[in-house]
Amino acid sequence: MSEPVVDVRGLHVRFGEVEAVAGIDVQAYAGQATALLGRNGAGKSTTMRVLAGVVPPTEGAVTVAGHDIRTEALTVKQLTGYCPDVGGLVPRATPWEHLQLSARLRRMTNWEEHARDLLERFELGDVMNRVTGGFSHGMGRRLSVVLAAMHEPRVLLLDEPFDGVDPIGVEATFDVIADARARGATILLSTHLRDLAIQACGNVLVMRGGAQVASVDAEDMAGEEGARAYRALLD
Amino acid sequence: MPTAPSSTEPRTTAPLVPGRVQAARRAIQDVGILFRFRAQAVRRRHLTRGLALSFLLVTLAVATVPAFLPGANGPGRAFDMFLLLPSAMAGILALNVASAVASGGGRELLSRDQASPYPISPTTDHLGALVLAPFNIAWMIQAWVLFGSMAYSYAGAKLFQAQVAMLLWLVFCTTLGQVVAWTMEAVRRGPYGIGITRGLLICLALVAGAIQLTGHATDVLDTIPTLWVFQGAVSGWGARWWLVLAILLGTSIVAIAVGALPTHVAARRMPRDEARMETDQHEPRRLPRTVLGLLIRADRASVWRSVPMRRGVLVLAIGPGLVAIFGDLQWASMTILPGLVASGGALLFGVNAWCLDGRGALWRENLPVPASALFDARAWVLTEFLGVASLITIGLGALRAGIPGPAEASALVCTLLVVLLQVVGASMRWSLAHPYPVDLRSARATPAPPAAMVGYSARLATSTTFTSLIFSGAAHVPDWRLSVLLAIPCLLWSGVRLERTARRWQDPVARALVVTTTAA
Repeated sequence: MSEPVVDVRGLHVRFGEVEAVAGIDVQAYAGQATALLGRNGAGKSTTMRVLAGVVPPTEGAVTVAGHDIRTEALTVKQLTGYCPDVGGLVPRATPWEHLQLSARLRRMTNWEEHARDLLERFELGDVMNRVTGGFSHGMGRRLSVVLAAMHEPRVLLLDEPFDGVDPIGVEATFDVIADARARGATILLSTHLRDLAIQACGNVLVMRGGAQVASVDAEDMAGEEGARAYRALLD
Repeated sequence: MPTAPSSTEPRTTAPLVPGRVQAARRAIQDVGILFRFRAQAVRRRHLTRGLALSFLLVTLAVATVPAFLPGANGPGRAFDMFLLLPSAMAGILALNVASAVASGGGRELLSRDQASPYPISPTTDHLGALVLAPFNIAWMIQAWVLFGSMAYSYAGAKLFQAQVAMLLWLVFCTTLGQVVAWTMEAVRRGPYGIGITRGLLICLALVAGAIQLTGHATDVLDTIPTLWVFQGAVSGWGARWWLVLAILLGTSIVAIAVGALPTHVAARRMPRDEARMETDQHEPRRLPRTVLGLLIRADRASVWRSVPMRRGVLVLAIGPGLVAIFGDLQWASMTILPGLVASGGALLFGVNAWCLDGRGALWRENLPVPASALFDARAWVLTEFLGVASLITIGLGALRAGIPGPAEASALVCTLLVVLLQVVGASMRWSLAHPYPVDLRSARATPAPPAAMVGYSARLATSTTFTSLIFSGAAHVPDWRLSVLLAIPCLLWSGVRLERTARRWQDPVARALVVTTTAA
């Protein structure tokens, strides 16, 4: 198999006395979508934040497309598209202003058509000039996915993208993941919704108490049998 | 097996729809509960206690020490101050009303979103805002100015009685301000509310302008009923003093009770300003040429599209400016204004500058831009915000003060620069050291919890007042270069501290703490 695009080895993240991530290993490859599953506080979002360059690792080695997250955080940010678990939107900026900022900082040209298309697919075209402070939770989540995907990143990090999102938003997110896989991007998807994770991803990584407890094919987590296996891993 | 209480069993929970008296009692109890809840969240309690004690000691000192200063109770400056006190009382009333109106009914014990799962009545909200009213720099300075002026101009056996009356005057101003604010808020949230409110403000501005231009300012100030209150306050243990006290106390109690009515009306209506701000369309503009320009534009939008910041800065810029006009403030004394305005402006968002991004902080932190650019943009927008407000105030003050001499102009410019750098430096430092997750959507929102706001207010007030007084003294020295000489070390010191904060911001661990806290 080729080199992993996302390579996490022995990652620890501590916030004072709390150990949010206690030594996990993740390898994700180009064209592969991996779901991170686990209970609340399992360390999924913290792992995502580390990969997005938002939270530095306390211990361990983390590389994204060969770039060390500690020393080349800015390059990693260029390569990733991140949909945070909470909000992820500046309250008094419009969706279009968010897109402008992202495009400009990534030195994108001729991005407008693609951005408009994405906004339309997520049914946000009508509100693109309205500040996001007044958005519903679902609208906010949809826009966060648009922002993560707009620049077609090599690594797409989606943290709870389905949370409170209507079926059209879920379908559009599936399309974004499928498109990203098709062009060879690496996708990491954190969610509590096992069924949706299995539909969208080929691999599943289950986390508990800040550590990885299983890494299996998505098919193994499907159906009644998969639900029981997942349940057993959580307890 | 019994599954529910029978009708003969005593009821153990409060009725869901209490009577009016019971509701009022419950509202008062709820204020205590909420206040204790907020107090629990205070992180550095010993520091907060120390600050509270310091505030009381400073207030006590301000109310007594000036009485022992040379010239106190004398025929010169003390007598002039004595004559101006009734006008100052009126000014304090106006400022209390204006600040309560601007903050949409005063500060919240618990923010709108946080309070949403709990049965908190509008009466509790109203009482909570009253409790929090003194926890702000403007209120404190007003109180100190009033007590200090009274102590200096009326030192003697009747000072105690006069100060008691002044304390009640402050209570009266605060409670009345709250009633007016809630009434305005109820109107503003009603049909054509925004138009009516703006119309009223324009009328007030026109009347004030007309009075000033026709030279009737002094006549108007002489007819204000504060003179009657003031005469009673300084009359000693007489019947008049007791009468004034009874009236102030009585009207304050009535205002507290009456204030609950418009609060309930306002609570039933949609906050229009906030709703309008969140549904307004902002057409795309051409992109700035540089990344820093783009970041500055984004931060600027975050500031100017926020209701509390727009209203707050308007009051901060115009309020002291009008006081300067009506109080005939001279250039040498005007050095106090930039410090006052900049401190107040920093308390609108600067002391927790990273909260501007709200939950968007996580996304912004993932953007491929050097951390220093984010810092520079935020520090610049804060400077711009405070600078614009200060310049408006000075501009208004200049309308009556005429043309300044070289020493006065130099002192004022130096004060402005020093105070701006001082306040921006302190704000960025505190924002990095003590971030808070705050949603600045509501007109009543503050960037930090009440106890922290008191600490910030006190520290800003002390440092900027000290600076202003130094330059006020320099303005009296004929050589304009003295102010420049004084300003250079101050600017260097504040600049070095700001640079140090900028370096700390480069640390990814420190930044991660800020980002994850503000986005929480």
